Amino acid sequence: MTVVVGTSTARLDGMSKVRGEAVYGVDVSLPGMLHAGILGSPIPAGTIVALDTSKAEAMAGVWAVITASDAPRHRSGLVVADQRIFAHGYVAFEGEPVAAVAAETPELVRKALDAIRFEVDLIPPVVDLDVAVADGARPVHPDWEDFVTSQEIARSTNVCGALLADPDGVDEAFAAADFVIEDEFRAQRQYQAYLEPRGVVALYEADRYTIHLSHQFPFNVRDRLAQALGVTASAIRVVGHHLGGGFGAKLDITIEPYAALLAKRTGRAVRLVLDRTTDLITAPCREDAIIRLRSGVTTDGRIVAREMNVLLDAGAAATDAPYLCSIPFLLAGAPYRVGPTRVVSRAVYTNTAPTGAFRGVSGTHTVFALEQHTDNIADRLGVDRREFRLQSLMSNGDRLLNGQTLDDLSILREAFDTMEAAAPWASLGREHHRGVGIASCVWLTNPMPGSATVKLNEDGTVGVVTGATENGSGALAMGVAQVAAEELGISVDRVIVSLPDTDTSAYDAGSQGSRTTHVVGRAVREAAAEIRRQIFDVASDLLEVGVEDLEIVDGGVGVKGVASSRIPLAEVATTATFSRGPIAATGRSITPQPQYDPTCASGLLFPTMPTPTYHVHVAEVEVDPVTGNVDVLRYLVVQEVGKAINPAGVYGQIQGGVAQGLGYALYEGLAVGEDGRYRQRTLETYRLPLALDVPRVEAHLLEHADALGPYGAKGVAEPPVVPVAAVIASAVSHAVGAPITRIPITPEDVLD
Amino acid sequence: MELHIIVNGRRHDLDVAPDETLLQTIRNRLGLLGTKEGCVEGECGACTMLVEGVPVDSCLYPSPAAEGFNITTIEGIGAGATTPLQEAMVRAGAVQCGFCTPGFVVTLTALLADNPAPSEYEVRSALSGNLCRCTGYAQIIDAVIDTVGSRR
Repeated sequence: MTVVVGTSTARLDGMSKVRGEAVYGVDVSLPGMLHAGILGSPIPAGTIVALDTSKAEAMAGVWAVITASDAPRHRSGLVVADQRIFAHGYVAFEGEPVAAVAAETPELVRKALDAIRFEVDLIPPVVDLDVAVADGARPVHPDWEDFVTSQEIARSTNVCGALLADPDGVDEAFAAADFVIEDEFRAQRQYQAYLEPRGVVALYEADRYTIHLSHQFPFNVRDRLAQALGVTASAIRVVGHHLGGGFGAKLDITIEPYAALLAKRTGRAVRLVLDRTTDLITAPCREDAIIRLRSGVTTDGRIVAREMNVLLDAGAAATDAPYLCSIPFLLAGAPYRVGPTRVVSRAVYTNTAPTGAFRGVSGTHTVFALEQHTDNIADRLGVDRREFRLQSLMSNGDRLLNGQTLDDLSILREAFDTMEAAAPWASLGREHHRGVGIASCVWLTNPMPGSATVKLNEDGTVGVVTGATENGSGALAMGVAQVAAEELGISVDRVIVSLPDTDTSAYDAGSQGSRTTHVVGRAVREAAAEIRRQIFDVASDLLEVGVEDLEIVDGGVGVKGVASSRIPLAEVATTATFSRGPIAATGRSITPQPQYDPTCASGLLFPTMPTPTYHVHVAEVEVDPVTGNVDVLRYLVVQEVGKAINPAGVYGQIQGGVAQGLGYALYEGLAVGEDGRYRQRTLETYRLPLALDVPRVEAHLLEHADALGPYGAKGVAEPPVVPVAAVIASAVSHAVGAPITRIPITPEDVLD
Repeated sequence: MELHIIVNGRRHDLDVAPDETLLQTIRNRLGLLGTKEGCVEGECGACTMLVEGVPVDSCLYPSPAAEGFNITTIEGIGAGATTPLQEAMVRAGAVQCGFCTPGFVVTLTALLADNPAPSEYEVRSALSGNLCRCTGYAQIIDAVIDTVGSRR
């Protein structure tokens, strides 16, 4: 029986946030701080003709103007070393930095940036994915063949990442099919639209850079900034502050090198915070994609062969896209049974801002495409869309296309049953102008390493020191804190969780892929077990009983079942500190990679789905036949979570994830014009979901404990966004009686 | 130019630039950092303050136009004590990253002062100028309903 775990305790940082006390990255200021700004290229492709900073440099109050000639010129990158700090010779996307300024005031920064003369000879930009990969296409990077990669990738002109899976028997299986269904789907870019713009305050001191910011992955800032600057990792200290949203956009470095270089150049602290439009047009947004699917089907309803061709828009740098090429492959063969499946998934350079990670990376558009394709197959067979899914559902022991066996697929059938009990399929979407949609998927929990040091403070509170980040999800402020409280017999408000600092904590792989509660929670459990041993060691002397007779309850140690014997943890801690030494221990954790078949594909950089979770979503919509607007009447989620450590926190992730998915499905889109520039450039034109748009999601949790996760918990926060566009498209297509082939779904799509 | 404003009950005599916004004055001159700058377009509502009790986007509000006015920022809500609304927001899970939260607290405080028992639709309408990217709004609405219910 747990006392704290499984209850909806209030988040530790809640009061400071509702009072406006929490200090975010953009709130940080240091003594003597200068302000900084970046001059970005106004056009997406061209040859640099002139760059003259002399007028800006001569201005009073301007401390430094730096360009490519003042910065390291080598290329660096997550997988493909294709990024320079400043453009050199040519520009490859709108907003690509060409100069940076540090000055006494933000006004002076603007004036200095305006005084820089920058001339470019325009080249027609490469923006269309099919054009970019066609024979004879102009390379976005003329010297792409010279780029160094950290992993083996089959690159070609404008292709910076590629997965190829071509198992035996695909063509034969197609030949044996009764009919073939072929579809093409397109998805637009989605901006993370975190409320706190990207910002950083940098300081150079004693041959080291100190970087203050709010970020999802401080250790990656350390490592990537070191790579970009050409220094060793320990020359950089990253100090994290409260994070005003990231959703994937704050996992890699973006603006950190400019503040760091200006701080070193000026000898003063430098603050660089982006205005909203600059943030939007240069954000590592969710990539646009084209997904082409062919399935060979038999008249008795089996999918016997499949071919999937995916183009992911990397923008002008590969960043994480070579990894993302694996996601369509991992999803193409599940959760519905398919025959031999050929997958070609390529990441493509274009003259646009580099795309990056966004919650549910590449899963949102892949599941949208797969599920619409599934609907089309069911419709062609004349089988009810839900019934077809149930007929085709995989079962325990079935394998993903990578050969990974899923032993718990029966959870998915349970999820369908739970959904049916909550909202009978036949009762939804039957009225005029209404539609119902359903989708399901498998998703993963990021396995990467983490650690935590747990200490018993001398006043009896417990400190958790970790390099992990609280991104708002509650992973630290609820989940990890609750694990610590449960393990040490105290209330959660007696736990203090640190903010990240790469100098004081061991490595943590950042808030990504729903990993923090799962991985860091395990590390805390391991450390807490050692803390209990240390506590009992001291208490057994104080109480003169054996350690096997002791327990920790309500913040005190005593003889099992004898409340009067309890001595407060504060007394134990103080005694320990001044007799044997402070009570503290460190735990660490990483999820082993599941077994898979490494020969199943080439370019499989993201090889498996560790700690898989299962999801079924249903939506009922009403379309307005006059305006084309889509109203979401009901939205239901059945999600498998392992163990809900904080049920209200889990619900918050589901409601919030669905809201982002609704935006993706219906409102949000960064459209790239033929000129290579975004059409949406502000939060006025980039339409985010409002309080009036988002219904109250009806959520039902399934709990099948994971063997490794703390109290059985699996990743929770990422998957609620994954199937939303699929479900909404399915419901809209049901309402209007025609397929939906692109997202966001516009009123025009509905009326057509 | 000279500016005399009363912020959270305290009088300030300032010298501000003619094009300065209230958000800049409050954050940069008074050092009150609870009010957040999210967009400087009047879209996100993170910078919401009360001017003479009325919620405004302080990122667009010219400071000189506030001459002589009473201004309440997140720091002045509840005059230093935590209000039932703020407590309800923490309890309900209405806070995630929290960057939008001060704006929501200020907007909702004004709503409840004006309309002590709003319907869910009225709450959602009142929030049409406040963006939250984390929560999907439901638990914020819950907190308001909870606050209204506990008053009865």
